[in-house]
Amino acid sequence: MEEHEILTTLKILIIGESGVGKSSLLLRFTDDTFDPEQAATIGVDFKVKTLTVDGNKTKLAIWDTAGQERFRTLTPSYYRGAQGVILVYDVSSKQSFNKLDAWLNELETFATKQDMVKMLVGNKIDRNNHEVSKEEGLKFARKHHMLFIEASAKTNDGVQCAFEELVEKIIQTPGLWETSGKTIRPGQGGGDAYQGQSCYCVI
Amino acid sequence: MEEIVNENVSATDLKKYESVYLEQQRRGHVSEKTQFDYALCLVRSKYEEDKYKGVSLLMDLLRSSSDNQSMRDYYFFIAIAYTRLKLYEKALDYVEPIFKIEPSNRQAKELKAYIKKKLKTDGLIGMAVVGGAALALGGVVAATIAAIRK
Repeated sequence: MEEHEILTTLKILIIGESGVGKSSLLLRFTDDTFDPEQAATIGVDFKVKTLTVDGNKTKLAIWDTAGQERFRTLTPSYYRGAQGVILVYDVSSKQSFNKLDAWLNELETFATKQDMVKMLVGNKIDRNNHEVSKEEGLKFARKHHMLFIEASAKTNDGVQCAFEELVEKIIQTPGLWETSGKTIRPGQGGGDAYQGQSCYCVI
Repeated sequence: MEEIVNENVSATDLKKYESVYLEQQRRGHVSEKTQFDYALCLVRSKYEEDKYKGVSLLMDLLRSSSDNQSMRDYYFFIAIAYTRLKLYEKALDYVEPIFKIEPSNRQAKELKAYIKKKLKTDGLIGMAVVGGAALALGGVVAATIAAIRK
């Protein structure tokens, strides 16, 4: 029953420097948990979650890559076929922000879908010591045609929104995904809980 | 965890990291990074022989390492290799040491749960096969007895 209602399965990738909170964002989104002592990811992690956006039920296959240098040769093999990517930096670490260009380069080299949708997430906004302003993040995102949001996996700020906006944009991109069922309702529909959310992602 | 365990390396990657490894071997010194990269390709190969080779390269790294983070990674990928080889008891032997380094490591917990589940279902399948064979044998015996009695 359930399976038939799913419009499509989307491959989502999470990348960024070590320690910026990639796994924490994922676990907040999929399990609604937060571990302040989250261990560094070994190689790559994988989670599945269904998400309904604009009345379209999608299954997300999310690959959470290790940010550590020692896995830099392993992780690009997971880029293949991804329709969406979440690039994460830590707002309290200028260094993690300065590395974004390198991550985009890597993405360009290894991703196979040219029109994949990119979302920039500035994580850890719950912290006081911001080294990267919201304007800087926004400017970078605009320059590289990415969606943008500031978030906190710890306080659950902007996490759901980041994934929803990414998926919505993918669904709206023709040719980026293939339908696995018959119930195609891109654009409008459903009237689900999605409406009324205060997302502020921008391109 | 199923997706992680079943993911296969591409032939291109395997070849690429193999050539780096062989080149360094020729020159007389293989770096930890090169050996690790090649091992990660090997354990994800679809060929049994490659997986064993990956295990032996990781074992070799394990012996010469004293860094907890690195050792954690070696243990994990040895466990992945044995899981792929369906040597589940052996796989468990290499998941356990991870908890000594990081007692609540989530990926290790998930891998352990996956292996335990596999042990159980494979055990049941084994029992079903034995049971089925017993039934078939019983049928043959019954038929033979019936034939003799005629």
